[in-house]
Amino acid sequence: MLKSKTFVKKTRSGGVMKIVREHYLRDDIWCGSEVCDSCKQDSPVLQQDPCLESSLCKCPHYILPDTNVVLHQIDVLEDPAITNVIILQTVLQEARHRSAPVYKRIKDVIHNVERHFYTFTNEHHRETYIEQAQGESANDRNDRAIRVAAKWYSEHLKKDQKEEGFQIILLTNDKKNKEKAEEAGLVAYTCEEYIKSLVANPELVDRLASTPDDVNEIESGKIIFQEHLPLSKLQQGIKSGTYLQGTFRSNRDNYLEATVWVHGDTEENKEVLIQGLKNLNRAVHEDVVAVQLLPKDQWVAPSSVVLQDEGTTEDDEEEEKENSLKSVVHESMLKPTGKVVGIIKRNWRPYCGMLSKSQIKEARKHLFTPADRRIPRIRIETRQASTLEGQRIIVAIDGWPKNSRYPNGHFVRNLGIAGDKETETEVLLLEHDVPHQPFSQAVLSFLPKMPWSITEEDFKSRTDLRHIDVCSVDPPGCTDIDDALHCRDLENGNLEVGVHIADVSHFIRPGNALDQEAASRGTTVYLCEKRIDMVPELLSSNLCSLRSNVERLAFSCIWEINHNAEIINTRFTKSVINSKASLTYAEAQMRIDDTSMNDEITRSLRGLNRLAKILKKKRIEMGALTLSSPEVRFHIDSETHDPIDLQTKELKETNSMVEEFMLLANISVAKKIYEEFAECALLRKHPAPPPSNYDMLVKAAKSKDLDIRTDSAKALADSLDAAQVEGFPYFNTLLRILATRCMMQAVYFCSGMDTDFHHYGLASPIYTHFTSPIRRYSDIIVHRLLAVSIGADVTYPDLMDKHKQAALCNNLNYRHKMSQYAQRSSVAFHTQLFFKSKGIINEGGFILFVKKNAIVVLIPKFGLEGTVFFENRDKPSPRLSFKEEIPTLTVEDTVFRVFDKVKVTISLDASNVQHQKIRMSLVEPVIPGVSVSPQSNCNSEPDAKKPKLES
Amino acid sequence: MAAVQVSEAEKVYIMHGVQDDLRVDGRGCDDYRHMEIETDVVSNTSGSARVKLGHTDILVGVKAEMSRPKLEKPNEGCLEFFVDCSANATPEFEGRGGEDLGTEIANTLYRVFDNGHNIDLKSLCICPMEHCWTLYVDVLLLQCDGNLFDAISVAIKAALFNTRIPKVQMIEDEEGTKEIELSDDPYDCMRLDVENVPCIVTLCKIGHRHVVDATLQEKACSMASLLVAVTRKGTITCVRKVGGGSLDPESVFEMIETGKRVGKALHTPLQEILQKEESLGKKRHKVGFLG
Repeated sequence: MLKSKTFVKKTRSGGVMKIVREHYLRDDIWCGSEVCDSCKQDSPVLQQDPCLESSLCKCPHYILPDTNVVLHQIDVLEDPAITNVIILQTVLQEARHRSAPVYKRIKDVIHNVERHFYTFTNEHHRETYIEQAQGESANDRNDRAIRVAAKWYSEHLKKDQKEEGFQIILLTNDKKNKEKAEEAGLVAYTCEEYIKSLVANPELVDRLASTPDDVNEIESGKIIFQEHLPLSKLQQGIKSGTYLQGTFRSNRDNYLEATVWVHGDTEENKEVLIQGLKNLNRAVHEDVVAVQLLPKDQWVAPSSVVLQDEGTTEDDEEEEKENSLKSVVHESMLKPTGKVVGIIKRNWRPYCGMLSKSQIKEARKHLFTPADRRIPRIRIETRQASTLEGQRIIVAIDGWPKNSRYPNGHFVRNLGIAGDKETETEVLLLEHDVPHQPFSQAVLSFLPKMPWSITEEDFKSRTDLRHIDVCSVDPPGCTDIDDALHCRDLENGNLEVGVHIADVSHFIRPGNALDQEAASRGTTVYLCEKRIDMVPELLSSNLCSLRSNVERLAFSCIWEINHNAEIINTRFTKSVINSKASLTYAEAQMRIDDTSMNDEITRSLRGLNRLAKILKKKRIEMGALTLSSPEVRFHIDSETHDPIDLQTKELKETNSMVEEFMLLANISVAKKIYEEFAECALLRKHPAPPPSNYDMLVKAAKSKDLDIRTDSAKALADSLDAAQVEGFPYFNTLLRILATRCMMQAVYFCSGMDTDFHHYGLASPIYTHFTSPIRRYSDIIVHRLLAVSIGADVTYPDLMDKHKQAALCNNLNYRHKMSQYAQRSSVAFHTQLFFKSKGIINEGGFILFVKKNAIVVLIPKFGLEGTVFFENRDKPSPRLSFKEEIPTLTVEDTVFRVFDKVKVTISLDASNVQHQKIRMSLVEPVIPGVSVSPQSNCNSEPDAKKPKLES
Repeated sequence: MAAVQVSEAEKVYIMHGVQDDLRVDGRGCDDYRHMEIETDVVSNTSGSARVKLGHTDILVGVKAEMSRPKLEKPNEGCLEFFVDCSANATPEFEGRGGEDLGTEIANTLYRVFDNGHNIDLKSLCICPMEHCWTLYVDVLLLQCDGNLFDAISVAIKAALFNTRIPKVQMIEDEEGTKEIELSDDPYDCMRLDVENVPCIVTLCKIGHRHVVDATLQEKACSMASLLVAVTRKGTITCVRKVGGGSLDPESVFEMIETGKRVGKALHTPLQEILQKEESLGKKRHKVGFLG
């Protein structure tokens, strides 16, 4: 049956358009229930005996939520306890229209077979389709459609059922809708009533989002915040320039301060400072907000005070604190200051953190402290506070009324005991937005069928390189080997060097679910004892991994090189290789050094090593930087999986050998794809840092009377090489560590969208990533581009679309950054575990930075960096004086300079379970009243509640 | 225009019949042929109607679009006419063949509607000087079997009656920027008052008498005809002589009188039928183009 749907729409140019769409009604849409016999369905989704037991409704029933329930109570619906739910098309469409994230979540639930969620396409069902009546708003019409569908269901099931009393329960929080439903003879409850009535799952109540009505009941009292302006006003204001739009970033150390990064091109007022609770006006970190600049006389300087929200403060005290921010400062320090007038887009996500139980025993409202200090505390309602205490939990924000000091939220999920390794890993993955759920069935379905072997077809289009002695060199325990090398003599006296990269793009075809998943993950994340794969294990550790003595598909880059390491010609080809050996760096080094070994592989390695040295020398002459950052590796106890020792990573000659050829391959490929696709090549650049970045490096070097030149990369590299201090061999490394901190982040970009291609750190005019397609998605794209350019594969539209490429680059850069943060957090956590078991340790270190009230100390032995504070809350502070020109801090009579050697005690401060941290305190030089006496660690049982050292 | 060849003997026969108030198809001189009207036939217009008169077949669509008012009439909307002669109607219209006729009809329609009383153009104004509704009246000739003007005018009246214009509001904020707000209820719309929309009555002078709604054969016997646009109350908004022959002022006067009488008689049943169709609402069985 054909109907037409008519609606009018405003066009972008301001006109009004009438749109007519055809709408077909069908009578072959089935109800999806096992109970029903009359519908000719193959596999009914809804079960015959739904196992939800409710005290309100004793008989078996299905739940039919309305749109608002889906939108606001998605956390409840996501709970595995809730099954057999009918989601109407009307509801789904509305949800999609109003909130994309909720739509995605409900879709995920629907796709989960175990949940028995059924989508009923009521809008196309002949008996449930309704037309908008005269004088009825779109919302009313949808509510009516939901009621009609519910009615249809209950009658439909009544007709067919074998047993008595099968019911449809309509969940709606709308009073009017509920009344009307009851009038029509339907069973309707509010979501809260129903969830509370569930006999088996009392904990679900916590997950209920508070609805505006009951918030009003709770929150009485004075209004704390100014009303947010409506969106239309904000937009006008932004257009006319009275307000500025920007992303809100809370200050990590001071909860009363934030900055807003103003969007747009204006260089002026790029960053607006916001100070004080009222001016922050309920904005949460990452929100897009509109700010209004305050008059100049109210501008302030960013405070350097560390303030943490203790939660129980009263308002007067709050003001006092705010006043403490406003110290008298020089006028030049004043920053544009503003206040938040409205929120353009909330960027709330579920937050990890812990419950701070209310002091009152029977209370059900508690404050939740997120792990991320930039997020305010959240008030939640729960009855299981005592069980949740000490656990890491996830909480979502529901809203922030203007009369409430804290936002209101609800409990989502319990992750486990805080401090537990598994829980903490989960937390850091969630906090860094690392997708880490197991691969879905849809993704796995695109994997090749096992047993897999190379077919005749493959050989036809590939160069057969199985006879060549290829080997791979990787860190120990590596299972995802994505590169292998070879080197052999040619008859003309030159050398042939090949870099063979796993041919991942052969297995991951553009556009399928596997490809999309990999693109969204962007990179494999390596944590201390866990790897979050970008592609399923079958590919990463088996089919794509270039293991020894198996035939593998590869993408090879083969050069003819003379003995001066000059490239005569370059060839790219898809190939089949058979690696003869998988070596570790140490093994490879041994072979090179062992003069008694003279087999093909060893000779090949020696040739590579010799060439690599020449290449490296050339590169450094070009001005490539050798930087340093302390990296540590944990020795993990094989049973408890706790770290028992840690050592800094050691670099062997072979590391640099492999690196050198990877760089060479990357640069060759970058040139090739840019030549071929000037508009859409995916490249990587490393912008030169602005000169001001080097300030601290130059100042630090000056304190040792050394001059660091930063006008070019070459000058920097040379002056870093020249910077040596007699009798202080570690000095140069320290300086390089500092230099690393001055650098910018290297990023992926699309060649058609940018003009600056230079890679500063490598001193290369062009660069890309080609050599690790198993663990980086960028490499997969580069592989595809290269394959197209040598005619080995076909292209597809998205590959040639520079806007899509740019969007992809943004995601890759984001994922890359997040994975680095996650990695760092993981190391930090393991370091803490290590020190927890070690107790207190005395160790020597060097001062890396000098701050106003503290020094930052690096312990080379552990690669650990920590801060020694000279101010203490419960002690009178010592005399401090700080000089900025050459950073020095004078404490009482002792002067601290950068690079000074100090001795500290290291211990774990577990007083705050959420933010366990390494505490360092000064042992040498001895300053009475400031330094502490060295502690021996013989008595130390690993004990988290060790009394604090200084108090 | 589509012409038929009529022999001398036939002409004499037709003329004699007219003389005796008995036409070839049995009608009297003041009678129209059977007329069929259906409105709301094209769903993506604001209003539409299809009229069949004999074999003449006309489709009219009205499309309301927002635009800027004319400078000389800042607080009025406008009416635009466009006539498309489909080659379906007659092979002569193929290519650009129908263009002249189309323009001629459109120009006549402009003249017919060019007075302040037919349609309340002021009601089409949304915001003086800035926004108004323009009604694009598109006429499509599907088949020609004489008396195009009359059929077109009836179809236009029916289409205008059927037209629904979405209600819009101008919202002005304190800074003076105006924005258009649209009601999200598709039933919330504006109707036009078609009370004073005229119908055209074409009178053909045949011999000493004149006939209304001439067929193609009768047209071939006529040297000149008079086109009279009459409103429901009998006021005449436009008179135009068409054809090569000349008319005696005396007979012009007679013809105007007849036109006025026939026009008034045409309006009443038309209005009734339109109201009746409207009252059926959704229950109406649509005929459309397949029926």
